[in-house]
Amino acid sequence: MTTATVSRWDRFRESFFWYSFKRDKVAIASFIVLLLMVLAAVFAPMLAPADPYDLAQIDIMNSELPPAGLDGADPAFPLGTDAQGRDLLSTILYGTRVSLMIGFGAVLLQSILGVLFGLLAGYLGGKVDAVLMRIADVQLSFSTLMVAIIVGAVFKASFGNLMFGEIAIYMLIFIIGVAEWPQIARTVRASVLAEKKKEYVDAAKVMGFGTPRIMFRHILPNTLSPIFVIGTVQIANAIISEAALSFLGLGMPETQPSLGSLIKSGFDYIQSGSWWITLIPGLVLVVLVLVINLLGDWLRDVMNPRLYKG
Amino acid sequence: MALLEVKNLDVRFAVRGGDLTALRGISFSLDKGERLGLVGESGAGKSVAAFSVLNLIAKPGYIAGGQILFEGKDLAAMSERELRKIRGNRIAMIFQDPMMTLNPVLTIGTQMVEAILAHRKISKKEARAIALDRLQKVQIPSPEKRLDQYPHELSGGMRQRVIIAIALLLDPEVIIADEPTTALDVTIQAEIMDLLLHLCEQENVALMLITHDLGVVSQVTQRMLVMYSGRIIEQGPTRDIIDNAQHPYTGGLISALPQMGEPGARLFQIPGSMPSLKNVPTGCPFHPRCEYATDECRQAMPDYVQAGRVDVACFEVSKRIEQEKHMQEERP
Repeated sequence: MTTATVSRWDRFRESFFWYSFKRDKVAIASFIVLLLMVLAAVFAPMLAPADPYDLAQIDIMNSELPPAGLDGADPAFPLGTDAQGRDLLSTILYGTRVSLMIGFGAVLLQSILGVLFGLLAGYLGGKVDAVLMRIADVQLSFSTLMVAIIVGAVFKASFGNLMFGEIAIYMLIFIIGVAEWPQIARTVRASVLAEKKKEYVDAAKVMGFGTPRIMFRHILPNTLSPIFVIGTVQIANAIISEAALSFLGLGMPETQPSLGSLIKSGFDYIQSGSWWITLIPGLVLVVLVLVINLLGDWLRDVMNPRLYKG
Repeated sequence: MALLEVKNLDVRFAVRGGDLTALRGISFSLDKGERLGLVGESGAGKSVAAFSVLNLIAKPGYIAGGQILFEGKDLAAMSERELRKIRGNRIAMIFQDPMMTLNPVLTIGTQMVEAILAHRKISKKEARAIALDRLQKVQIPSPEKRLDQYPHELSGGMRQRVIIAIALLLDPEVIIADEPTTALDVTIQAEIMDLLLHLCEQENVALMLITHDLGVVSQVTQRMLVMYSGRIIEQGPTRDIIDNAQHPYTGGLISALPQMGEPGARLFQIPGSMPSLKNVPTGCPFHPRCEYATDECRQAMPDYVQAGRVDVACFEVSKRIEQEKHMQEERP
């Protein structure tokens, strides 16, 4: 078994993927930044000096303290505090965690739906294709925000604010995931249409394989590269959508803030001089989305079959 | 009873503005261990014939009539589930382009093991052993290594060997080879053809060889059929047809071979080209290109006549046979 893993690792190290990654400084830098942010988010409970969810640790007397280096800064709060007296560094760490969870969760849901419907539409064709793609068209003609606002408002009204706070993260994953699946479904369908004409599909039929096996085992792996590229960009999009929703007050509640709701909560105090509550999480959000998009661009270049195939 | 018997097979393509007939009344049979050649120009319906034997014609094509009897059971009337048990298992198929036939993202071993497990209830380990054995049979150098390699790591000739190995995985009764050597280097073509011939003889597998290469057909097959515009126009023992072709089209094909002409001279060419399915000429479809064509040929489709051990569909040939009969009667 060890020989197999070693050879797989060797294969990876000899691959074009690794080669082009090593040569692309932007990709390396983006990857390192993203990795640090993901690690910081994952290990937030260990890294953060305070627990922003724990009301007992919050002292309202500490509210709106500026970041270290400014007048009136408290060394216990390196990035200052927000209006409720929460340590901004800890809140940002936890907020990044929430934003990333929503980003990855939504894209996971999108991919499951998109791959399934895209494969079915592309491979089976005919009526299945027509029905699924019309549903996708209808879905795309609603803007994500509009759907989210309606669904969010309904949820909020029916569950009440307290209950809503607990399910908000799942609801956001659901809304963003469902709203964006057609993007992936269309991409998958297009690649399936190209793949299913290839001879290996005929060969698989001649071998007596059933339709599900041909779809998932033979065609799906050959359509993965565009899914990866789109998926990466979609993570950034989902994080932005979540931030926008939270900024509008329809996303994560302030008791367990995401980056978006942090920006929003700080926005109310920006006039009173507490710019850091908005600016710092805003910068974190921009950097997070930027590195994901840069990685997505690089992936697109590497996986473009016209540039390289094999 | 023949192993595989195709009776009066009609295949059509449903397209806008009516059906196009791709195969018209195809009948032939294949015995156990027999090797049959299917010859014709591009567009004659050779590949459609191959796919319809497995009842695997892609939409909009469909089988409009006739029977495909495999061990007495009609594949044309079988359910998809039953068909799947036969495909790959009892009847295997080899395709033209080895670059395209293997799935690029799965290793050779994975693809072979998967094919076995789809038909046999055995462990992965046993399946891998079978895969290794078949790779040895097709004389691939260092077969153990190949199992863990991806198709793009092999050369064209090696890939075609792998494909032959995959065809042999489940000890099929019939192998359909659709131009198995066309995409290969000339030097490798002969090697692969020899290998295929050798394996078919050794395992007593029937081979249906589809090709436009008369040289290969004459070396490998015992019987052959010549197709033109979706019809079989001549059918019989390969020797008889190659040595003494009856149909003017078959004669033309043979004269077009480079080794038939004088060195340096222009090669013989059959004038014109195969009619498209959309406008098949009335009568004998070959008449616009035939030097013997008469009004009869333009109006009616010729029936099959026996010329020696060969069945031919040609008015000219039947006239000649009539004349020979007369001459024999007059000269007692």
